[in-house]
Amino acid sequence: MDLFTAITLAVFLPFIMAAILPTAEKILKNRVGWYAAAVAFICLLLVAQALPAVVNGETVMGSLPWIPSLGVELSFYGDGLSVMFGLIVSGVGILIMSYSNEYMSKREDLSRYYRYLLMFMGSMLGMVFSSNAIQLFVFWELTSITSFMLIGYWRNRPMSVYGATKSLLVTAGGGIFMLAGFLLLGIITGTFDIATILQNTSMIALIKGHELFLPALVLIIIGAAAKSAQGPFYIWLPNAMEAPTPVSAFLHSATMVKAGIYLVARIHPIFSGTEAWFVLVSGLGIITMLAAGFLAFRQTDIKGILAYSTISQLAYMMAMYGYTSYQYPGIGVAAATFHLFNHATFKACLFLVAGIVAHETATRDITKMGGLRKDMPITFIIGTIAALSMAGVPPLNGFLSKEMFYESSLEMGHILGGPLEYLIPAAAVLGGAFTFAYSIRFIDGIFLGRRRSEHLPKHMHEPTPVMLAPPALLAILVILIGIFPSATVHYIIEPAASGILLEDVHLHVSLWHGFTAALLMTIITFIAGAALYAKYGAIAAWQDRVNARHPAWSFNSLYDRFVDGASGTSTAFAKVMQPGPLRPYLVAMLMIFLLLSAVPAVMVAGTLIPAELNFDVPAYEAVLLGLIVLASLGTAVLKKYLHAIIAVSAVGYLVSLVFIYLQAPDLAITQILVETLATIIFLLVIIKVPQTFRERITRSVLARDLLISSAVSVTVLILLLNASQGIVSPFESLSYYFIENSVPLAGGYNMVNVILVDFRGYDTLGEIVVLCLAGLGVYNLLKSRSDSK
Amino acid sequence: MTTLIAKTVSKACVPIIILFSISLLLAGHNYPGGGFIGGVMFASAISLLYIVFGLKYIDSLYRYRWDKWFAAGLMLATLTGIGAMVFRYNFLRSTYLTVSLPLLGDIKLISTTLFDLGVYLVVTGSLLFVFKTMGEDE
Repeated sequence: MDLFTAITLAVFLPFIMAAILPTAEKILKNRVGWYAAAVAFICLLLVAQALPAVVNGETVMGSLPWIPSLGVELSFYGDGLSVMFGLIVSGVGILIMSYSNEYMSKREDLSRYYRYLLMFMGSMLGMVFSSNAIQLFVFWELTSITSFMLIGYWRNRPMSVYGATKSLLVTAGGGIFMLAGFLLLGIITGTFDIATILQNTSMIALIKGHELFLPALVLIIIGAAAKSAQGPFYIWLPNAMEAPTPVSAFLHSATMVKAGIYLVARIHPIFSGTEAWFVLVSGLGIITMLAAGFLAFRQTDIKGILAYSTISQLAYMMAMYGYTSYQYPGIGVAAATFHLFNHATFKACLFLVAGIVAHETATRDITKMGGLRKDMPITFIIGTIAALSMAGVPPLNGFLSKEMFYESSLEMGHILGGPLEYLIPAAAVLGGAFTFAYSIRFIDGIFLGRRRSEHLPKHMHEPTPVMLAPPALLAILVILIGIFPSATVHYIIEPAASGILLEDVHLHVSLWHGFTAALLMTIITFIAGAALYAKYGAIAAWQDRVNARHPAWSFNSLYDRFVDGASGTSTAFAKVMQPGPLRPYLVAMLMIFLLLSAVPAVMVAGTLIPAELNFDVPAYEAVLLGLIVLASLGTAVLKKYLHAIIAVSAVGYLVSLVFIYLQAPDLAITQILVETLATIIFLLVIIKVPQTFRERITRSVLARDLLISSAVSVTVLILLLNASQGIVSPFESLSYYFIENSVPLAGGYNMVNVILVDFRGYDTLGEIVVLCLAGLGVYNLLKSRSDSK
Repeated sequence: MTTLIAKTVSKACVPIIILFSISLLLAGHNYPGGGFIGGVMFASAISLLYIVFGLKYIDSLYRYRWDKWFAAGLMLATLTGIGAMVFRYNFLRSTYLTVSLPLLGDIKLISTTLFDLGVYLVVTGSLLFVFKTMGEDE
């Protein structure tokens, strides 16, 4: 199998397998999670096939026709970066879906759960391998939508629904900004193919010199920040913790939240090496890193602590990708990529441990835990390894990438000079100290100290191997990468960094490389972190006090006010646009008709009434027309519904007689039949309502309605008079075309029918769709009313 | 309206109306008629049954799911369009084939007849679906 086919298959396989998952569930019952894990495993194998090629510095490219008439293709591009993400997504996917087998209760709707997980995995793979920016956007929003479905998995919990809505509004809304940024890129370069732009140095130079450079960059960064919960957009991630814990481990720590980081890495060659890139990306990253690290102190929910730590860790990567200068555009790229990979291992592990703890203790409140090391020694060891890796303790993988973070911060500071030479490393150390403090809190609060038996169940035990194995595997990976980093670095990190920087990158990562400035910074971090941990309770209490005193000082309250305000505004808008009674709609429709037809008719025809009028009406037609006028008057005057309805149908049948005189059998049959059915519908309705018109109509309303309806009648009269003189000059009749072509092109002599099903078949298709929807609409209206009773 | 006369007359009429509606559908390409008119006529035949014999009685004989009809019709009409794409033509592109049959002479088989059948089913299904929903509503 060639690599392009393998990647295409890896993207679409999860979607196909999700579609047939309900069938698989019938066979496997509640073991269907293994089926999903198997799909993830196949995806991993497919993606891994591309690994040897990207290690050699090659890329996988190819495209399939999608909308050939518009020149839109489904194109995939696989380089080191995409393959690394592909491996993380499918690899963590296997672990998560296996773990879920035990975590999710058998009573849950498992089919829905795994379907969304698989669809998410496919969207994520599709996104990282997308070459076309528009295609990337589509997959990007698909990940937002599947994330929405998974956060809101427990539909009956208000907080789940709130969290799901929030994440969708923020991430998908950010996606729209990103799309606007892509459109600007498309305007500048004339192509949406990111791979083409990356391989074309003149295009990159063109973008960097273009006046739309800054708007495009800002828009794309907004999209990335919203997805990766950076800056003010962080608010969705803590609420997303309402999802089942495996989902949080998969989407909200290891993969989806890294989509923004992926995007920043992907567009790195296009935008980096500029001041704007450093200020926007690094600035955002450093501020978020400090703020989120600080805010983590207040959290008492173990998943909340992890959520804030995820925000802060993603901000590390943001900051590192942002480190740039004209000579060295990618100072922190290798470090950031390495940290990204390590973070996926230890954070997913931590979430899975949190899931085990919450599963066994039936609470997520860290203040109610403690001393669990005796009940669950293996979980304790796994959790400690992962948390220490996050804290940056040697010899774990988090230590290595944290050191690289410090090195790149030092280098960036050195290049900038001035006060920033010390400020940037200082900020990095402070961020590290926060991380150290909350990592220790995680271990200490859950596993060490006194067992708070009053809050905990009496008998707690280790979970089954199904739940223990995935985090254990990740913990082993954390240690292995920490002690023997060279394999991972050579096969995964180097190709990924080369893919970002578009040049060969060689890294030398080892556990001990002498007593360097970065090591000194690590030691300071540990001391400062320990000092912060000593004051942990005091800081958290202070944050609580500030929050209680100034409830409006948060992005969350801003979001709430915005969303509540939006629903208020839309309600007000709907009250104006959808008042309820039919009369206002009719008034609006008729007024628009007057505006659109009376004005042009007068302008085009020049004169209101044609000079010569042909009033040669035979007697029988005159009688018919007189009857129509009478019946119409009857509909307006009669007091009872039944009488009015009979008058209306009389008008209809009389009009069908007119059609017969005019030799239009098609129209006549249609008119008769439709009239019959309309009468039946009317009768079905009026059985259930009062039999007379109850409404009081004031004189002014009556006058207004009379005025409007007579104006409309006069307009129609004028239009008809003009039409009877032949087609007005600037227009040509369409009928000749159909008269000439209906037999040779469509093989039918009934022109009306040929137009309906052939020439304008698309319109008819739309109309029958409307008919179906109307049927369903009536059904829903009536059924929802009887439900609410 | 459930008089004996109405019942007897509609028993005789409904089959004829249905046959006529089918002939309207099939003849539609060359003579007055077509899927829409045929569908409406079919719907009026069935609604005649509903009115004369009552919803409950007809349902007790056979409980019809009209929503399936319009779903099938929409599917058929869409598939007719996609069928043209299989042969690498544009969506909804039509074609016809003239075949000579003994006794019947030359007959034109037109692909849009299938599309018209879809229209017929949608019109019938959705109208009767609405009728039934309204009629059942308490």
